[in-house]
Amino acid sequence: MEPCHGRVALVTGSSRGLGSVIARKLSEAGADLVLNYRKAGGRSEAQAKALAKELVERGSRAVAIQADISQKDAVVAMFQEIGAEYGRLDILVLNAARAPFKSVGELLKRDLLELVETNYLGNIYCMQQALPLMQGRPGHVVFISSLGSRFVLPNYPLGSMKAAMECLVKQWAAELQDREITVNGVTAGLLKTDSLIVLRQYWPAVARLPASAFVELEDVAAVVLFLCTDAARGIRGQHIVVDNGLSNEMLLAAPAG
Amino acid sequence: MPEPLISQDQIYQEVRTAIADALQISGDKVQPDSSLIRELAVESLDFIDINFRLEQRFNVGMPRKYLLDHVEELFGEGVAIDKDGRLTETAVTIWNARLESTGQGVRAGMSLEDVPALVTPRTLVMVVEEILATCPDACPGCGKAAWKLTGGTTMSCGNCGAHPPFLTGDEVIRRWLEEFRARGGLKSSAP
Repeated sequence: MEPCHGRVALVTGSSRGLGSVIARKLSEAGADLVLNYRKAGGRSEAQAKALAKELVERGSRAVAIQADISQKDAVVAMFQEIGAEYGRLDILVLNAARAPFKSVGELLKRDLLELVETNYLGNIYCMQQALPLMQGRPGHVVFISSLGSRFVLPNYPLGSMKAAMECLVKQWAAELQDREITVNGVTAGLLKTDSLIVLRQYWPAVARLPASAFVELEDVAAVVLFLCTDAARGIRGQHIVVDNGLSNEMLLAAPAG
Repeated sequence: MPEPLISQDQIYQEVRTAIADALQISGDKVQPDSSLIRELAVESLDFIDINFRLEQRFNVGMPRKYLLDHVEELFGEGVAIDKDGRLTETAVTIWNARLESTGQGVRAGMSLEDVPALVTPRTLVMVVEEILATCPDACPGCGKAAWKLTGGTTMSCGNCGAHPPFLTGDEVIRRWLEEFRARGGLKSSAP
């Protein structure tokens, strides 16, 4: 009935946006949740705590843990807390991301470091720290990527990190093959989340796209959930594009002679 | 200088509304000198949301980058922020020359991470005011000096309907920095 019953799931960056929708979805599927947010004292902390409370009231276990994944010490501490709270981890959703929105030519060294430290190193820290808690049982890792990993978006250097991670997902899936831990990616299309506010600042044309160009958060979360169930155990090191058909129809939109 | 079409108080009211709407809080909670980060719990995406609302309201382009980012792009990496992520003397000189009037000073050695917390509604008012001040006297389209307000806070030419060619917030900052350098403002702090 509940495909994730008794499983413990961590969703990084789950105070809002897609992360929060994925967390709700996993909770509805029976999982106990670890929510994660980057910054203490801000709005995301309040939102993560409110979401944890909501999930608890609906009968799940849920905790919200502050950790900036770009800091290895913070990641280690977060997984210690998960170990103390639940003693295990079955599902890891790598959703957190943070990036400057600049053209390549404008990126300062600290911008580059921020890109790499959060979106590449941070995800790897999480993967490494998760493994001991996933010991001895089948598990699922899902990396949340975006179309920016393969198509050009203006002022979106994050795309290059998404591409690097997509490559790493395949590598890691192969390494964990014998441990029955699946590692896959979901490549999301255009989402109507807070990130759209950012996107429309740097890419005004996005405001004129038809509704069909966007994919529902629920639709992305549903595929993430599927990859976190036993039914998907045969899928290893793959990336599923969930974009409501946007990239499939790319050539139809190309200007004709 | 002629009286601007949009008063400072009007800009402040719009800034307050933009912040309140973006954060879904009551406008009463917003004070001119509230630290957006410390007192109103604003996060980086909220800044972008607030800026977007102001852009819609005034038909202007708010800055995409912080002052100190511009400093480093124009004058070289390491000029404003040292390798430990702390503000240099030059950063302090520039910042205080430009923004001390908004009541928010910085000091050398301060962490770059602590800088965004200095932004207040007063800072945003200054940014909007500066952009609006880049409106030329006459409309470049028809040559008439007939700017008027439409919809309360958006300017257009009373003769031909064109919108004023405001500089963007980033252009305003860059121009200010270049002028600051030209008049020798950087020298007093040269290492």
